[in-house]
Amino acid sequence: MREQAPRVQMRGIHKVYPDGTAALKGVDFRVHAGEIVALLGENGAGKTTLMKVLSGLLRPTRGAIFVDGRPVLFRNPSDALRCGIGMVHQVFTLVPPFTALQNVLLGQEGTGALSPLPEASARARVAALLEEVGLEVPLDVPVESLPVGVQQRVEICKTLYRGTSVLILDEPTSALTPVEVEEFFRFLRRLRDRGAAIVLITHKLREVLEVSDRVVVLRQGLVAGELPTSSATAEKLAELMVGQLTALRVRKSPRAPGKPVLSVRGLTVRNDQGRVAVRDLSFDVREGEIVGVAGVEGNGQSELVQALTGLRQPDSGEVYLEGERVPFVEPLALYRRGLAHVPEDKARFGLALGFDLVENSILGRQREPQFVRRLGRLNRPVILRYAQDLVRRFHVVAPDLATPVRSLSGGNQQRLLVGREISKEPRLVVAMHPTRGLDVASTLYIRELLVQMRDAGKAVLLVSADLDEVLELSDRIAVMYAGQFVGLGPADQFRRETVGLLMGGVVPADDADAARAPSPH
Amino acid sequence: MRTPRALRPLTESLATVALGLVAGGLLIWAFGHSPVAAYRALAVGAFGTREDLLETLAFATPLMLTALTFAVGVRAGLFNIGAEGQMYLGAVGATFVAGMVPMPAGVHLAAATLAGMAAGALWALIPAVLKAWRGAHEVISTIMCNWIALHLSMYLAINFLAEPGRAERTVPALPTARYPVLSEESTLTAVLFVAVGFALVVYAYLWGTRAGYELRLAGENPDAARYAGVRPERVVVLSFVIGGLAAGLAGASQVIGRPPAWSLYATLGNVTTLGFDGIGVALVGRNHPVGGILAAVLFGALAQGGRLMEYEVGVLSELVRALNGIIVFAMAVPELWTLLRRRLAR
Repeated sequence: MREQAPRVQMRGIHKVYPDGTAALKGVDFRVHAGEIVALLGENGAGKTTLMKVLSGLLRPTRGAIFVDGRPVLFRNPSDALRCGIGMVHQVFTLVPPFTALQNVLLGQEGTGALSPLPEASARARVAALLEEVGLEVPLDVPVESLPVGVQQRVEICKTLYRGTSVLILDEPTSALTPVEVEEFFRFLRRLRDRGAAIVLITHKLREVLEVSDRVVVLRQGLVAGELPTSSATAEKLAELMVGQLTALRVRKSPRAPGKPVLSVRGLTVRNDQGRVAVRDLSFDVREGEIVGVAGVEGNGQSELVQALTGLRQPDSGEVYLEGERVPFVEPLALYRRGLAHVPEDKARFGLALGFDLVENSILGRQREPQFVRRLGRLNRPVILRYAQDLVRRFHVVAPDLATPVRSLSGGNQQRLLVGREISKEPRLVVAMHPTRGLDVASTLYIRELLVQMRDAGKAVLLVSADLDEVLELSDRIAVMYAGQFVGLGPADQFRRETVGLLMGGVVPADDADAARAPSPH
Repeated sequence: MRTPRALRPLTESLATVALGLVAGGLLIWAFGHSPVAAYRALAVGAFGTREDLLETLAFATPLMLTALTFAVGVRAGLFNIGAEGQMYLGAVGATFVAGMVPMPAGVHLAAATLAGMAAGALWALIPAVLKAWRGAHEVISTIMCNWIALHLSMYLAINFLAEPGRAERTVPALPTARYPVLSEESTLTAVLFVAVGFALVVYAYLWGTRAGYELRLAGENPDAARYAGVRPERVVVLSFVIGGLAAGLAGASQVIGRPPAWSLYATLGNVTTLGFDGIGVALVGRNHPVGGILAAVLFGALAQGGRLMEYEVGVLSELVRALNGIIVFAMAVPELWTLLRRRLAR
């Protein structure tokens, strides 16, 4: 099979973004019919950029693309689709109130702007396609009421229906439960066996080893290595990905926890749609321990954190900080009692992107007496010194303090934010997805800071969709499912597979007792 | 490193104004006049003599204040287009105290000024309260308030403030409540200093105080403001009140700080559109109090120089207003340019 010409070949692809960033510096890439290629790399390695070039979303600065040996020039995604190349993005492009069938048909060639969708005539064809590739999708339900995993199938079906034979998937498993991932991989293998060429963008080593035939590793815009999966090991791939085999794990020594800092009793919180998102939840976080909450996103984690940090009014329940009951929806009162909050979306909650580093360094601390002078004037010299100190202590790389944080990298934004929160000398740190989207160095650094906080006797509540992060950092682990903790216990009692199953709402038989009876702490 | 970034908005605004003037020149040319001659007349009319320059500043005075109203709204994340109505009420308030409540010199001028500002702020409280506690969109409520203010002010001017025997205008401000005229050759009075001073105070407040920081934070990122414990209602009320004070002062400035009438016309003819014009001035001034002062001088120059342009070259005065509009339109060009570059660069 490998003797055939590749289905798609990219040669010497360069891409320089308008702001001068060189995302790709001469990348060669090919994919054959009937193979799954994993495109592995760190955030910012250029994986998505390379595939956006292939799918016609971006134009390469230099380089050539060949489809079945013929040179092509894509001006837009439609050009790429005509060559059978389609991409499923991380963020779906579905119309929420439309049914799956309507979403699949939307924007098809031959349907005019005003003509009705040919639902009746196309239904059979869509159904046949689904049958053929073995995807299960309810066609007549509005997609907004479908789980994310099924929405993804709709998105894939949409791409396949347009005649795609080169399917590019950008981090397709990020929103899936472990069970769904298994099923998804079976589907990919079936599709491959039918002769499709599949490119899987990912940064998860396990997935690469499990499903791909060949791996291409990108690092800083260059191909760092290419090898058949059969001769790859996780260590080898990790080394190619990050350059050198760094201590990926954070060192953590055993430590006995102290008295409870955060106590949550019977907390019930509704989401924006008015549905109960957190159901009658009780737990403690003690001095000197990290409690990690794992779970597939959307099981109430956001609502829980927002309720605990003063951003959302709970329905009922009580929250205590060091034994004292705290008011709801009063972030400043919580900060005064020692809360540090690393919010789930730093750009949305934790930073004002248009403000400079100085102004962001006092966000949430702007009322502290040390920063305010008589008549409510900001104490500029003190704030400036403090901001300089933050930048130095937490290794924030920025041209100068007057730079709007918008132009910092994600890692540096998060360093500034976490530094600000930690410098409050808190009693309790609540951190959600603290390393999401960050490079290896920053991820490692932020994780070390969280462990340092724990070692210094702070209570840390870590909520993360990154299972490895939870397993690595936590002293105790809770898995959140449908607004409740299924299983809360010492980290060493949780095997990776157990957590995976719990995340999918499956209580494993041998762990059933432990899971049903959450420990008192 | 810091200076160039701070000055970038200024250079961008200047480029925009230049672009607007070029486009306006095409329009002038299309109407059969020489753009060069027209702009020469405009420049001479606005800055040619000391008298012209002072008159330009007289035109600029209310504009820098109504621009401030809009700018403070934008900084708080609000689209406050109610300066027009707040300014009417400010003019009425100032007229009442200046013309009908005799007071000793000195005190009287301050009292009349404060009355105008307070009236503007009170009127601004209506949309502020509706927004903060009822969620009514400020664009709708300020538009409605503008119309109510127009008819309310005319009613008050005609029925309670009219000068006996002269239906077309209100009682003039008593001599004790008039800002000193700076030069007999122009209509500029010392109210200019009050206007500039107020703009600078607002600037210092927004960038130098904790409350100003919170106001700008709410405008920049409402979610981050919640995270920082900022109450959105307080920000809404605060920004409307500051805006109302500015607009009220603008209205007052045309009654107690602008000869020869020293009064409000019953049709409000000597104040109408000053509030709306402020929106364009604020945009060119990048919603910055200091930028607003500079932009107001530019628009004042257009107003003053436009007279000579009409007189000498025959360009219609409507064309001068069109020029204002074109410059405001041109403000969108940097944004368009970025968009275009991004598309081309793909």
